[in-house]
Amino acid sequence: MIDDNSQDQSPSKGGLSEREQRDAVRNRYASIAQTEPQSGCCESSSASATTCSDDSDTLGVDSQRLGYTADDITAVGEGADLGLGCGNPTAIASLEAGHTVLDLGAGGGFDCFLAAQEVGKTGHVIGVDMTPEMVELARENVEKNDARNVEFRLGEIEHLPVADETIDVIISNCVINLSPDKSQVFREAHRVLHPGGRLAISDVVMTAEIPEDLRTDPESVSGCVAGAATINELESLLDDAGFEAVTVEPKDDSHEFIREWSDEHDLADYIVSATIEGRKPV
Amino acid sequence: MKESLMDILACPLDKEPLDLSATDTESNDDDTEVLAGELTCTECGTVYPIEDGIPNLLPPDMRE
Repeated sequence: MIDDNSQDQSPSKGGLSEREQRDAVRNRYASIAQTEPQSGCCESSSASATTCSDDSDTLGVDSQRLGYTADDITAVGEGADLGLGCGNPTAIASLEAGHTVLDLGAGGGFDCFLAAQEVGKTGHVIGVDMTPEMVELARENVEKNDARNVEFRLGEIEHLPVADETIDVIISNCVINLSPDKSQVFREAHRVLHPGGRLAISDVVMTAEIPEDLRTDPESVSGCVAGAATINELESLLDDAGFEAVTVEPKDDSHEFIREWSDEHDLADYIVSATIEGRKPV
Repeated sequence: MKESLMDILACPLDKEPLDLSATDTESNDDDTEVLAGELTCTECGTVYPIEDGIPNLLPPDMRE
C-alpha cells in the first residue's frame, strides 16, 4: 500500500521524488506478479487508493488489441502475458536469427519469449526488471516455455548490468514512462547497443497537460499515466542520447484500450500509445 | 544464468567486467547454468549475489 504522506517529500516534476516513484512502481508490479495471471493491468485506478490487486475483476487489456496476433498469444505458455503493455514491440523490432535482444522492464517475460522465437537458438534474449517478484515469475515462465535462449536479470534500467556494445536490438513495452530519469535510461540504452543497433519500444506519450490530481497520484505514476513524456521531449531525449533516425509515432487506435485504464478520468484525453524507434550510428 | 553470457554482463555502477564465483552449477547441453554464487566487480569490488539462477544486479541501494 502506498503511503499517503509520500507526496509531501521533495516532489519532482511528476509530483513524487525519484525514490517514491520507484517504490510506487515496484510495489504495484510486485503485487501484480503475485496475483494470478491476467488480473493485473497497466490501468490506473486513479485517485482512489485501490491497488491493482484489488481490481482483480478488471482484467488486463486483451493482447490482440495491443497489436499481438492470436498466434503470438498461443505461442507463449500461460502466465507470461499479463496484459500490461501498450503495444507489441517485437512486431516493430525486425528481429533476425542470431540477434542479442535486451528487454527493458521485462515483467512476466511475454515479449522476451516472442523475441526468443525470432532470434532462434543462435540468438539470446535478456530481460531486465527491478521487481524481484516479476523476475521470479519470469523465471518460472522460462521453464514453462522451455526457452533456453532467454535469461532474466534483476536490474534497473537506469543502471543496466550490461556491457558496452553487446546488444543488437532493445525492446520495451510500456515501461520507460515509469522511470524518474528517462534521460539516463536512453543514455544507458545507447551505451549497450552495438553501433547500428536499434531501439523498438512501445510506450505511452503525453498529448495534453495531465491535471494536478492525476499527476501527483502514486497510483497514476505506477499505472503508466503520470510519467508519460511528450513526443517532443522523447525526441530530444533520444537525440541527446546519440540516437539517429528517431521516430515517435502515436497509435490512434490505442485510445479505446487506454480509456479502459480508468473509470474516473478519460485518459485518452492526455495519453496515447506510441511506437518509439531510434538507431545508434554506425 | 548461462556462464557463456558472462561477457554481456557488467557492473551496473561502473560497467566494468564481473568475476564469477559459482557455488552451484548444472551442465546443460554445451553450456553451464549457474544456479548460485556471486559476481564481483573487477574494479569497484561490489558483490552481486546469484540466487535460483538469477543474478541480482540491482545497485546495492536498490536491494531490499
